[in-house]
Amino acid sequence: MAVDGRRMTLGLPRMRKEPGERRDFLPPFVREIAPHAAGVVVEEGIGSGMGVMEDEYQGPGVVVGTHEDAYAQDVVLVVRIPDAAELRLLRPGTTLISMLHFPTRPQRVRRLRRMNIDAVSLDSIVDDEGIRLVEDPEAVAWNGLDAAFGVLEHTHPRFWGPRRQPVRVTILGAGAVGRIAVEAATKCGGAARFQRLEDAGLPGIEVVTVGRNLTRDRAYMRERLRVTDLLVDAAARHDPWEPLVPNTWIGLLPRHAVVCDLAVDGYELDTKPPTVRGVEGIPAGNLDRYVIEPDDPLWDTTIPAGVDSRNRRVVVSCYSWPGVHPRACMQRYDTQLTPLMATLLDRGGVGGLQPLRSPQDRALLRASLRGWPRRRGAALSRSLGADRRPA
Amino acid sequence: MNVGLPRMHKEAGERRDFLPRFVSVLESSGATAITLEEGYGSGMDIPAAAYEAASSRVRFASYEETLAQDLVVVVRCPEERVLRALRPGTMLLSMLHFPTWPARARLLADSSVRAVSMDGIVDDRGRRLVEAIESVGWNGVGAAFREIAVAHPMFAHPERRPLRVTCLGAGAVGGHAIRAATHYGDPQLREELVSKRVPGVEVTVADFDLTWHEDYMVSRLRETDLLIDATARLDFTRPVIRNEWIGELPPDAVLLDLSADTYDFSLRPPKIKGIEGIPEGNLDQWVFHPDDPAYERLDPRVNTGNRRLALSCYAWPGLSPRQCMETYGSQLEPVVGLILADPAKRWEPEGGSYEQRAVARAEVTTWLSTAAA
Repeated sequence: MAVDGRRMTLGLPRMRKEPGERRDFLPPFVREIAPHAAGVVVEEGIGSGMGVMEDEYQGPGVVVGTHEDAYAQDVVLVVRIPDAAELRLLRPGTTLISMLHFPTRPQRVRRLRRMNIDAVSLDSIVDDEGIRLVEDPEAVAWNGLDAAFGVLEHTHPRFWGPRRQPVRVTILGAGAVGRIAVEAATKCGGAARFQRLEDAGLPGIEVVTVGRNLTRDRAYMRERLRVTDLLVDAAARHDPWEPLVPNTWIGLLPRHAVVCDLAVDGYELDTKPPTVRGVEGIPAGNLDRYVIEPDDPLWDTTIPAGVDSRNRRVVVSCYSWPGVHPRACMQRYDTQLTPLMATLLDRGGVGGLQPLRSPQDRALLRASLRGWPRRRGAALSRSLGADRRPA
Repeated sequence: MNVGLPRMHKEAGERRDFLPRFVSVLESSGATAITLEEGYGSGMDIPAAAYEAASSRVRFASYEETLAQDLVVVVRCPEERVLRALRPGTMLLSMLHFPTWPARARLLADSSVRAVSMDGIVDDRGRRLVEAIESVGWNGVGAAFREIAVAHPMFAHPERRPLRVTCLGAGAVGGHAIRAATHYGDPQLREELVSKRVPGVEVTVADFDLTWHEDYMVSRLRETDLLIDATARLDFTRPVIRNEWIGELPPDAVLLDLSADTYDFSLRPPKIKGIEGIPEGNLDQWVFHPDDPAYERLDPRVNTGNRRLALSCYAWPGLSPRQCMETYGSQLEPVVGLILADPAKRWEPEGGSYEQRAVARAEVTTWLSTAAA
């Protein structure tokens, strides 16, 4: 749709996952993108979750419409994947830009293809070095660690007491999120808490990072868990059917310990082999509730029967950690998406992208459903330079 | 606009030049002529023909001629005498490090050189858009583990205990160093050792809230196999690891300096490296055994009494020159595209497009006015 030289319209629907989901694109982003589109439809109520007034979005080429109107445009941009009913609002040929997670959602890929949707997955947009361009690992790590330390400072018997030893944090995984989690952990998850720690003259935080080659070492892991105050799962596993920390090991943690879940893997017991979470037997939270006490009903409602969850500690878990601070999150996404959306709209959609013209063209092509099957064969990725791994 | 690409003449080991792909980007962005210094690319075995094939507007000339072009692009900042010789109106795109070299910024502004510092090109959140920090972590850690593999008798043995790395600093460089350390600085080596069931690497991070704690640090150092300095200190006059503490490390421990700090005894108080008593390396030499003559070349006021095998390099990304220049070339594409599209345009840090704002923040005049404020 909307190729053949015609400029494209853009729709910005709101996300309706849970009441705590307050994120929408911000007015500066809409103003910056509007000149590149034939028109922008923002859904009524946009920004209200963050205290932004609807009229702040008004400007040349921008109109307010219904949820359905926003989904009826040539290009639809929404951070979280639309649900089944929302997907049905899309017209064939629509360009859908969202966190679509092609690699782990083959059924979704098939469905989008059947619907003739020209999809671009935000989580697959990578630069020539293979680095993601639309992501907020800082918010995942900092928001998660802030929540975790917020609990630990109350559960730890001597967190603010004199003569305590350094607080011990163990982080599983050293990828994009894990690296930032290290920094966030050394700062107690937030500047104010860290400053208070400094003012009190207390020893800081010892952070130990363990990668895949050490989580398999049972003797080491059991010894380390016994002295761990805060266990952080930031691992991107290659074998999601094997937990990194079996539920029995959770029993080794001190009673006051907190488990911080940044990986937000899911349980899928109907797959073969069934996939399980990195830390076995912990529940999944969301933006409405992300601090989960050992007696919380979420243990029963989010953990399938058959998964061992007998050993429990306080868990902090959220499917959308960046959404905890919605404005900061959207400022980041706005910045990251502005050059990409301008390129996509200027080119008249995915079909008009020119890989030799700019890094943005190449990044968008790599993340498109059109490029996906060819990417598996590596032909397109090589031509676009995507097979160069980071050093 | 005519573009000049001079080579970097810092040390013999400096082999980096922009790749032919970057030259083709310059042409497609509108460069009318592209002047490369004789021998460009030879450090990476790239023949002149590869550049000529990338653009019909390429010609080779002397170092001085490359500097006489409208836009001069070079990663490492040329020496001061070279900066002074640039003609007024020249646009210089280089790593100019204005915050730590304010006199350089004033010199360029006074010379009417329109300088854009690659390290100052930041997005709206302050994130650097032209950097090879990942290479700093991976190249440094990779080099350190190569030394450990030689010296450690049980390195690849399934019965050895996990190797213990202590990383000072948890910022951008530290983050990459930590990940690199969990991979021995070499993903292929890691896979090999995993398949042999060799225990991995424990990385402990100590930031400034813990490095002051002598009891903790000494006990930690006693069981450290690799100590990494990835700090970004505000106070350069005090080391993070005093030389006496190096004596607490096991005799075969390795020290890795990723910070690129220097000693400077012309300052009062003097500037000291984060790990006190290790030499300053470069692309010609980055491995220093305890008996290396480099220790004797240090200022005698540096306490070098306790020594271990040390690695230090001012330009770690230069160890993998081609990969480094692929990174810089790709990151600079939108920047040179912007400059060549409208060379006379003055960008505003608070207006225009995303790229315009990013480049505007790196202009010497913007930096000077911000610094003055």
